[in-house]
Amino acid sequence: MPKPIRRLIGLLGLLTIVSMVTFGAMNFLGDPLFNILGPVAADVDNPESLKVIEEAKAQYHLDKSLPERWARWAWDFVRGDFGVQFSSSGQPPVSDLIKERLPRTLELMAVAQIIAVSLAIPWSVLAASRANRRTDKISTITAFAFVSIPSFAMAVILFYFFSVQWDLLPDTYTATDPFWGISHDHRLIQLILPGFTLGIGSAAAYQRLLRTDLITTLQQDFILMAKSKGVSKRRVLYSHALRPSLFSMITLLAINIGFMIGGSLVVEQFFRIPGIGSAVVEATLREDFPVVLAIVMIVSAGFMVFNYLADYLYTLIDPRVRNEDTSKPRKITSMGM
Amino acid sequence: MLHETDSANNILELSDYRVGFRTERGLAKAVDGVSLSLKRGSTLAIVGESGSGKTVLNRGIMGLLGANIIEGGSAKFQGEELVNTNRQKLWGTKMAMIFQDPMTSLNPVMKVGNQVSEPLRLHQGMSRKEARDRTVELFTLVGIPEPAKRFGEYPHQLSGGMRQRVMISIALAIEPDILIADEPTTSLDVTVQKYILDLLVDVQSKSNMSMVIITHDLGVARGRADEIMVMYGGRIMEKAPSETVFQEMKHPYTQALLSSIPRLNDPKHTRLTPIEGFPPDIVDGPQGCKFAARCKYAQDTCLTLAPEETTIDKHTYFCHFPVGTDAGSEALKSNEDKGFTAAGLRIKSKGEVV
Amino acid sequence: MNEEQEINADEVTNDSQASEEETNISDSTQLEVSEFADKKTLGFGFWLATFWLVLISFLAVFSPILPFKDADKNYIAYEQKENPLTGKVQERPVQPPYAPSGEHWLGTDQDARDILSRTIEGARISLAVGALTALFGMIVGGTLGMIAGYFKGILDKIVGAIFLVVLSFPGLILAILIVALLDRSLLTISVTLGILGVAPIGRLARAQTLSFSEREFVMAAETLGAKKSRILIKELLPNVLIPMSTLAMLVIAVAIVGEGTLAFLGLSVQNSATWGKLILTGSGLSTLESSPWVAFVPMGFLFLTVASFNYLSDRIRDYFDVRDIFVTRD
Ligand SMILES: Nc1ncnc2c1ncn2[C@@H]1O[C@H](COP(=O)(O)OP(=O)(O)OP(=O)(O)O)[C@@H](O)[C@H]1O
Ligand code: SF4
Ligand SMILES: [Mg+2]
Repeated sequence: MPKPIRRLIGLLGLLTIVSMVTFGAMNFLGDPLFNILGPVAADVDNPESLKVIEEAKAQYHLDKSLPERWARWAWDFVRGDFGVQFSSSGQPPVSDLIKERLPRTLELMAVAQIIAVSLAIPWSVLAASRANRRTDKISTITAFAFVSIPSFAMAVILFYFFSVQWDLLPDTYTATDPFWGISHDHRLIQLILPGFTLGIGSAAAYQRLLRTDLITTLQQDFILMAKSKGVSKRRVLYSHALRPSLFSMITLLAINIGFMIGGSLVVEQFFRIPGIGSAVVEATLREDFPVVLAIVMIVSAGFMVFNYLADYLYTLIDPRVRNEDTSKPRKITSMGM
Repeated sequence: MLHETDSANNILELSDYRVGFRTERGLAKAVDGVSLSLKRGSTLAIVGESGSGKTVLNRGIMGLLGANIIEGGSAKFQGEELVNTNRQKLWGTKMAMIFQDPMTSLNPVMKVGNQVSEPLRLHQGMSRKEARDRTVELFTLVGIPEPAKRFGEYPHQLSGGMRQRVMISIALAIEPDILIADEPTTSLDVTVQKYILDLLVDVQSKSNMSMVIITHDLGVARGRADEIMVMYGGRIMEKAPSETVFQEMKHPYTQALLSSIPRLNDPKHTRLTPIEGFPPDIVDGPQGCKFAARCKYAQDTCLTLAPEETTIDKHTYFCHFPVGTDAGSEALKSNEDKGFTAAGLRIKSKGEVV
Repeated sequence: MNEEQEINADEVTNDSQASEEETNISDSTQLEVSEFADKKTLGFGFWLATFWLVLISFLAVFSPILPFKDADKNYIAYEQKENPLTGKVQERPVQPPYAPSGEHWLGTDQDARDILSRTIEGARISLAVGALTALFGMIVGGTLGMIAGYFKGILDKIVGAIFLVVLSFPGLILAILIVALLDRSLLTISVTLGILGVAPIGRLARAQTLSFSEREFVMAAETLGAKKSRILIKELLPNVLIPMSTLAMLVIAVAIVGEGTLAFLGLSVQNSATWGKLILTGSGLSTLESSPWVAFVPMGFLFLTVASFNYLSDRIRDYFDVRDIFVTRD
């Protein structure tokens, strides 16, 4: 079996385990019945309550064994039925919530990635073209500082300067506003502060990687060749050196999409963006298990898929390995939130 | 003056040209006082072992060594002083270069056609279409089959020989006044080597540009260069019209190089270690002749006194005891009798190094 | 953002081969990157970071016996003011927050509590979380990793699978899940964050053990009939410890940040001031407008501490040449 397929099957196996662990932990540590019914769940002496309890148990299959309940959940899940929310106000399907909230998180992440990449590229080129000179040293320290600022701190800093002090950018997000547009009543602009919060740290991380790769590339003969052809310095940097240096950054970028979901939890909470990040926080606090489970699955799957893609993405952009069934051992694996 | 200046006719004139690198140990004198002149339309071959400074000399002339070097002496290109000036305006218009390894000197992620048409568009103001047509024309000229198809391919899709032809097309696209080819065939197959060298000489003579070929291998220079310069430890050892070098070489280093030529017809390009020992340290080198430690002729004088230039006709060399002269034969004989040279190199009779 | 560190603990051999190849490729005469030149000195920054960490740890540990103000006391200031109605000069309380002054070096919050004292109080919890997390990660991850690397075979496979599963969870969601379902004690939070450190530390320990267990001194001990447990502890542990502790420093940084993140989600340690909670209290619109120092002082402390741990880890890795083994992105 070709390696990519083998790995894909491995990922599916991992996802299954992740769902089992999450499913088990929530039922083991929490009390689903209580979360559905509230205080009534404990009132087993009252025959009327008992009836309600029995009904609820039957409806949510709580009378079945844990593995069986997991299997039912999994079977529904693969068919796209994520179940219903535990909610006192009716039982809206979990998929409604996801459909409403996931796009907002994706928008936020897209804005953040675009900010990160468009900061990182010129920044790295500047630093690499002055390798080990003062500009480069200052930029290395700056990058180091930026990656040491947690996203919640970055949120406070940006909020303080751009919103409180200078009043330049909106800090409130209105889900009903249109996206495209450049006034404070457009979500594109409303996402700038949250986007920078998520994006600056990533930009610094990309810069560290891209700068190193650029310095290596700039020592290659073909750069000298380009110079000797009379290509201007700027063009040498941007059209000759940049592209062959991008591969590890793109790998990191793909992996980082997974991380950003973690970062977006805080950012969504801070800037009050009703995305899946804030949804999972709210659902966890309410112990609304179907929602938590669905989001854990989506996030893990996304995380794994992008990790997986990261290993093959470079085959799409590097003409040298295009059409080849290989996967380079990658230098970056991950730990984090 | 070491050389009569004939500025109108000379495209390149070096006099006492030096290049040093700042290193932790001190100044590395990679090129240590080179003087030469190159006539318009003629070909110079620079020959020497690895580390003798050939590449530094040429990249130095082109100004491609970056900022961390110290340049000295004089290097005039078409009468204009180059030393310590920015040579960017000459790149891609008047000077062109071919590098040793066509794999590493072509951009791996750029279509080869675009790499050739880039200077055409940048310096000759051609449109995309014109540059493309010209590139295909050049590909045909250098013997690349299916030129239009090759235009859109990446370097890794081509063989070594094809890549080097692409490099030559780049050089030709520029239509330079001088072309510097730094070991253009070292990384190629022996059959391809000959073809590429002949191709270079052919386009050279057709376009009347001047050319410098750098090589390890005296055999490569033979018949292709008008003049040969033998370099060692950053200095000129001997310089003469091509055939003179082979017929009447005066320098023991040239002799040693020659006796170790792998013949072009050898099955594989065998690179013999020409001479026992290693090139001299360029930071803290010997006081006298740079070759003394490895020279079979070396006498006490050689250790303390750097040899002066001797020029007879167009034949220049730097040696106290030149090959084929009375002084030289005497020096060799006395060393052979003693069994070792003044520098302590042990030799057997008849010049065989132990 | 910086909760994320990339670590490569597998494929040690592959990496070193790759870097060898890289160095061979370039025959160019371009300038060398002098990064390598000052490799073997720890440098000024190293000592600065060490100084800060020693200082903050000292303050945190000894704050009860140091002459700091009471972190929970309201230091209301009074001023003499003429009452406009009566015309009498009266002593009246001044509305807090108070800006930094000789009395309160780093100002007070809206309840007139001393920010410096509160920040140092917060350091106690935040650093404790960091230390406990790293300890948990090192004990569990180190043990699992060393066992996997030394005994190889099926044990290695099982441990590898555990690490893989832990790594495929979205870490922060896992953390809030556990914390929300259990309790918000110092220990729960530390262990939860520690779980996130187990896999990276474990992978590193495994890779190191694997490479050292084939060295002569281990072979020699084995042929001399030393017990396996003895080899693990006497021969292998000392060699695994240095790279592992540089990674543990990163884990401390991640844990401190993680605590702050949990605080912003309303899930940090109950009933104690932590850096995260202090920053959160200071980050409301009105507080930021009237007294930005309430948020920025603990943030500064947190930043310096996190940056110092990141930097130290970086330098030590350079110094001991363990750069090839894992790449961080701090
Ligand atoms: N950037 C540099 N810094 C310090 N020394 C250098 C640098 N580049 C080259 N050198 C030294 O200069 C000397 C000449 O090198 P050069 O590359 O010119 O030799 P070469 O004759 O071209 O050899 P080869 O046949 O191997 O290409 C060598 O001793 C080399 O180590
Ligand atoms: S004979 Fe003397 S001067 Fe001539 S090459 Fe030998 S050592 Fe140098
Ligand atoms: Mg060379």
